[in-house]
Amino acid sequence: MEWDEIMPRETFERELQELKYQLLILGSMVEQAVREAVEALKRRDLEVARRIYDGDQNINEKRYEIEQNCLILIATQQPMARDLRMLAAILEVNTELERIGDYAKGICKINLMLGSEPLVKPLIDIPRMADLGLDMLHRALGAFVSGDADVARAIPEEDDKVDELYNRVYNDLLTMMFADPTIIHGANYLIWAAHNLERLADRVTNICERTVFLVTGEIIELDLAKGKKIEPDFADV
Amino acid sequence: MDMFLDMFMWHHQNKKTQNNFPSLIDYSVVETASNEVKKSNNLPFLVTRAQEDVSVSLPSENFYKASIRDFSLYYGKFKALSNISMDILSNKITAIIGPSGCGKSTLLRSLNRMNDLVPNTHTEGEVLLDGTNIYTPGVDIVGVRRRVGMVFQRPNPFPKTIYDNIAYGPRLYGLRRRSLLDEIVEQSLQQAALWEEVKDKLNQSGMALSGGQQQRLCIARALAVQPEVILMDEPASALDPVATLKIEELMQTLKTDYTIVIVTHNMQQAARVSDYTAFMMIDSPQTRTGILVEYEATSQVFTNPKNKQTEDYVTGRFG
Repeated sequence: MEWDEIMPRETFERELQELKYQLLILGSMVEQAVREAVEALKRRDLEVARRIYDGDQNINEKRYEIEQNCLILIATQQPMARDLRMLAAILEVNTELERIGDYAKGICKINLMLGSEPLVKPLIDIPRMADLGLDMLHRALGAFVSGDADVARAIPEEDDKVDELYNRVYNDLLTMMFADPTIIHGANYLIWAAHNLERLADRVTNICERTVFLVTGEIIELDLAKGKKIEPDFADV
Repeated sequence: MDMFLDMFMWHHQNKKTQNNFPSLIDYSVVETASNEVKKSNNLPFLVTRAQEDVSVSLPSENFYKASIRDFSLYYGKFKALSNISMDILSNKITAIIGPSGCGKSTLLRSLNRMNDLVPNTHTEGEVLLDGTNIYTPGVDIVGVRRRVGMVFQRPNPFPKTIYDNIAYGPRLYGLRRRSLLDEIVEQSLQQAALWEEVKDKLNQSGMALSGGQQQRLCIARALAVQPEVILMDEPASALDPVATLKIEELMQTLKTDYTIVIVTHNMQQAARVSDYTAFMMIDSPQTRTGILVEYEATSQVFTNPKNKQTEDYVTGRFG
C-alpha cells in the first residue's frame, strides 16, 4: 500500500456504509412484514398473522442494534458535517422504520382479533394503499442511502393518492355502518387497518425529510412544502 | 545469523498462511475465548463486539499476545505502577489513556523492558509474552525487544541512509546477505506505506525526509526485525491532522499482522483507532502511583463506561 492511496477515515467510511446496509436490511424486514400482514388480513390467515405479530420483536431488536452502532460511531469517530448529519438521520429513519413495523403488527392484531369473523367487505383499496405506501417506502430508502434529495422531495407528493384511498375506505365503511349497525365492530377494525397504512405513508414523508436534511443540512417539512392546505385547528382558536 | 534467517523465513511463511486464513466464523472458539477473557481478569468485556471482530482475522491459538499479571514497577522508592493486570489481545489495537503522569508510558515500556534502561528500576508480578514471563531472570532481553518493537513520539531516524535505517536491526541480529536485506528493506517500507516515495533514494539520509515520512521510516525500522507486537508512544502527536488520520489507517492495516499497543494523550485518537481501551490514573496526589481503572472494549469505554472516574475523564470532567 502507498501513502497516497491511504484514504483518511477509510475504516470509518466502511463502518458508515455497513450501518446504511443494516438500515436497508431493517427496511426490507419492515416492508415484508407490512406486505405479509395485509395479505394475511385479506386471506384471513391467522397463522401468518401470528407469525408477523411475534416477528415484530426481531424488527425491534434490529432497530436497537442499529441505534447502538450509531451511538458507538458518534462516540468513537467524532463525525462532522455530512457524516454527523448522516448518523443523526440514521437514528431518525431507524425509528420511523421500527414504527412502520408496528403498523404491520397492528394490522396482524386486527386480523387476530377478528378471529373467525368474516370481513365486512372484500379488501380492495386497503391492499392498494399498502402497495402504494410500500413502493414509496422502498424508493425513499433508496434515495436516503444514495443521498438523492430530488427523489426524496418528489416522493411525498404521492402521499395524496394514499390519503385519497384512505378517505374512500373511510367513507365506504362509514356508509356501510350507517346502513347496518351490526357490522360496526368489523368495519371499525378495517378503518383502523387503513389508518395504519395511511400513517405508514406519512412516515415515508419523514424519511424523505431526513434525506433532504442529510444532503442540504436543512430541516423542512415536505408535506407543507407541497402546499397542502392546513385545516384550522379549532382547539387553538 | 541462521537463527534470524530461520525466524524471518518462518514469519514470512506464517504471514502468508495468515493472509490466507479462511474467513470461517467459528463462534464456539471465539465465545470460549471471550469467556476466558472474562474469567481470567474479571473484566466484563463487551462480548458481542469481540465475537464479531475476532472471527475476521484472528488465528484462534493466539488469542492473547501478552498478559500483564499483578504488575508493579518502582523507580527507586517511587512506586510508578501498582498491581496492574490486563490481557493484550492478539491482532488488536489496545489503547492506554489517562491524565499526564499516570504511568501510561511506563506501562507501555514495561511490555518490552525498556524501563530497564532507567537505573534503580525494579518490578513485581509478571508480563507474559505468549505465556512466557519476560521478567524471568536470565531471559534474553534483546530477543524480547525484537519481538516487541517500539515507535516513539518524535520521529527518531538514525543519521544514516534510509536503507541503513531499515537494515540496522536485521544486521544487528547478524543478517548479512544482501538479497535478503534488500527484500526486508522493501517489504518493511511497503508495509509502512513509504516505499514508493523513497525507493529511488534509499541511499539518502533518513534525516532528510519530512516529519510524516520520518515517522513511517521509524515504523518500517520497527517492522524490519519482524516483531510480533508494536508499542507506539504518541506516534502521531508530531504530525498534521491528515497524516495523523493516515497513520491511524495504516495501523488498521498493520493489525492484520501485528498486535499494537498505543499510548496517547489524544483521547479521540484512542476512540477512533483502538479495539480495546485501558484507562489509567494515579491513586492519590501524594503517592502518584499509576493504577488501572477500567479496561474494556473501546466502544464500551466511550459510550457507557462502567467506572465513574472513566466517565468523568472521557467526558472531560476531570483530568
